[in-house]
Amino acid sequence: MALETLQIEHVPSDHHVYAALFRDVQNVDFLQAQLIGKNPEFEYAFIDASVIISRTHLFAAIFRALNTLTEGTLQTPNVHSDIVIGLSPTNNISESYRRYGLTPSKTRDVLVIKVVYPKLSSENSAITSEQPTPESIWQHLTTHIQGTPVPLTNEEFAKSTDWAKVRKYYKLNGVPGVERIDKADEEGRRKEMEGLVVSGIALRGL
Amino acid sequence: MPDAKGRRIALGCEGSANKLGIGIIAHDPITGEALVLSNVRDTFVSPPGTGFLPKDTARHHRAYFVRVAKKALALSGVSISEIDCICYTKGPGMGGPLTSVAVGARTLALLWGKELVGVNHCVGHIEMGRAITGASNPVVLYVSGGNTQVIAYAEQRYRIFGETLDIAVGNCLDRFARTLEISNDPAPGYNIEQLAKQGGRVLLDLPYAVKGMDCSFSGILGRADDLAAQMKAGEPGPDGEPFTPADLCFSLQETVFAMLVEITERAMAHVGSNQVLIVGGVGCNERLQEMMGAMAAERGGSVYATDERFCIDNGIMIAHAGLLAYETGFRTPLDESTCTQRFRTDEVFVKWRD
Amino acid sequence: MDPSPQSPPTKKRKMATSTSTSTAAPAVVEEHQFPLPPILTHPSAAPPTLITQGAEGRLYKTTFFSPDIPCALKYRPPKPYRHPVLDARLTKARLAFEAKVLERCRREGVPVPAVYAQNAAAGWIAVEWIEGAPVRVKINEWLGQRPKNEEEERSAAEQDQGPLIELMKRIGAAIAGLHRTGVVHGDLTTSNMMLRPHTKKTTTTTTSEQTNGVSKEEENAKLLEGDVVIIDFGLANQSQSDEDRATDLYVLERAFASTHPRAENLFEHLLESYKQSFKKGASVLHKLEDVRMRGRKRSMIG
Repeated sequence: MALETLQIEHVPSDHHVYAALFRDVQNVDFLQAQLIGKNPEFEYAFIDASVIISRTHLFAAIFRALNTLTEGTLQTPNVHSDIVIGLSPTNNISESYRRYGLTPSKTRDVLVIKVVYPKLSSENSAITSEQPTPESIWQHLTTHIQGTPVPLTNEEFAKSTDWAKVRKYYKLNGVPGVERIDKADEEGRRKEMEGLVVSGIALRGL
Repeated sequence: MPDAKGRRIALGCEGSANKLGIGIIAHDPITGEALVLSNVRDTFVSPPGTGFLPKDTARHHRAYFVRVAKKALALSGVSISEIDCICYTKGPGMGGPLTSVAVGARTLALLWGKELVGVNHCVGHIEMGRAITGASNPVVLYVSGGNTQVIAYAEQRYRIFGETLDIAVGNCLDRFARTLEISNDPAPGYNIEQLAKQGGRVLLDLPYAVKGMDCSFSGILGRADDLAAQMKAGEPGPDGEPFTPADLCFSLQETVFAMLVEITERAMAHVGSNQVLIVGGVGCNERLQEMMGAMAAERGGSVYATDERFCIDNGIMIAHAGLLAYETGFRTPLDESTCTQRFRTDEVFVKWRD
Repeated sequence: MDPSPQSPPTKKRKMATSTSTSTAAPAVVEEHQFPLPPILTHPSAAPPTLITQGAEGRLYKTTFFSPDIPCALKYRPPKPYRHPVLDARLTKARLAFEAKVLERCRREGVPVPAVYAQNAAAGWIAVEWIEGAPVRVKINEWLGQRPKNEEEERSAAEQDQGPLIELMKRIGAAIAGLHRTGVVHGDLTTSNMMLRPHTKKTTTTTTSEQTNGVSKEEENAKLLEGDVVIIDFGLANQSQSDEDRATDLYVLERAFASTHPRAENLFEHLLESYKQSFKKGASVLHKLEDVRMRGRKRSMIG
């Protein structure tokens, strides 16, 4: 099973985060349609994997969304959509969906996040009165996503990262903090950019 | 020479601002104990809406010097022959008043054939505070009409870690009392404190100016003056309701004292101390003591403060600090017994401490 | 004469604790256990450890995102002494500013910790953990090995303070870099700078030289090696004015003199390096003269 249970530091113990990465997904338009149609069976965060540079990058967005969830200050209808916009360093919500969410005909690799946490009764959706298990989530995902699951490693993320987009979205072009690092030191530059991406996520709204 | 009981005795004269104080202290060389034999003070009080001017204050000190000295001597029960040295405030302070008292001290020294010891006013406050409270090595917050300093002892000097970058906190309070035309009797700060107890419905927004361990008060005073003008013009406060002089005093105290406690805490964290001693006239303020106590308690330490006998300028602190120096062999020759308006706390070589 | 409250206390009263009006009993030094901020009550691979109780808050070492990412989490608890309205306003504003300033410095290439996460309203910020030790500790370690006697020191001073002078220059350059980005720190002390050991890459050359017999002097010199990383931007502000920059230097100058009195004379090297690393350095140092005068020559009455 390629569904990973993410262990994120300082997240409440009754909040469980599952994630999976699918390559060459053939039915992005179908998945997008489920979100637009607010299909309660598809309570997931679907992310275009090309904007993700590393696990830490992903964790920063998830952490931020979980923190707003526990504080009761979600900016979108649910924690899953907050994870998608959580990737953004800006407050423009619709732009964030466009940039970090799915785009039919453009998105190839899909990152899926599922958060399971004890909901208050008023929040209970009609279908999931019982908490889904990793098995049930995985079964649901593999049934509906037409793609190849791969492990959530930095190496896999690196294969699909579109750096032009990342540099644009996180305003990393010509930044002195990155440019001062020797061009040959690719790892150093990548680390520095990751730091700026994470800071950008952390600072949104200040 | 030591008295019949083997004690060293000093008479101290203070008059750097509007208080003339003369006190007599005895140090027991065996027990190391300091005993206050007398501590007499007379304050020059100016009318509401005004501050004390150097010229008038100097005249007051000259007029009362003999009376205060006689009373201090009588209350102490010591004879002139038992006194070892005459201590006086060398500075810092206002030139005129300092000079008047120095002349008085010199006169006593020549008349009685005693040696002179010039004392730094701030060091006087610190040493008296330590003696009274038993705080061994505290961070010291020295707050008065002329000084705002956070001090800690290191390597033979009282080092200034933080201070005001413009006016002293006491000066800020005194001047605001003038703005509100509050009485200067017994002290403007005391009357602000009493008035503040009736305020607190709103916390009016004042600047909060802390830079590291330093702070500044002139911007706050300016804003407070503006708010006072608004109030007098009948304009409402931020919540649309009218506010009172009590609300202004409350807000001013809450803001400036929070700044003082903050810079003190920063110094404590910096030097790793959990004791704090408050000295100087503003140190009498119970709200400041309470706030400082809450901070110190949270750090697992405590606050040490004295009451108005020792917090407010007095002669006994000059006698005490002077006698400490005298015991290490320090003397001020007559031809060097001058005064100076500027005399940094850290200029004094503290030979009497380890 | 003044009325009773200011009249002398009873004759020959002892000045021991009997007359003490201290509002608390003498300090009892004991271990203080603080409740963790809510964010740190959630599970992490290793329990958070309290590093310091600074003035503004408590600094915890913990891990963030993953167990292999060490992090410094600063929590500013509500101050019991401060009016709650003022307290909330200050805490939120300072944390927000701290985060913004760190990001700005980072983008401009000034070595500061990266921000991992923050919640200004809840009073915490999580930043990158900087390895190494505070400059204060390193300088004191260095000075601790110097002769203590003032006379001796003066004679020894010229010859072997080289590494410390070098460090002073690096500090000056680091502050210049900070000021160049339009940031003033607001609380520069040698406690708020870390000396981060060089990463493996840069130290390989030096280690090879030291394979045969490291003399004590070389070891001492190594003590002050590393990158100066400025931390703790809790009082930082954005400013381009000479006045604010000079005040920043003045705050450090005084903190330095009181923390390291025996190295006070080396501060000029820091200023010189600041001047050389920063186009506006000369005019800032000119302003510093004014700020010093204001501080030292201020009339101090009563």
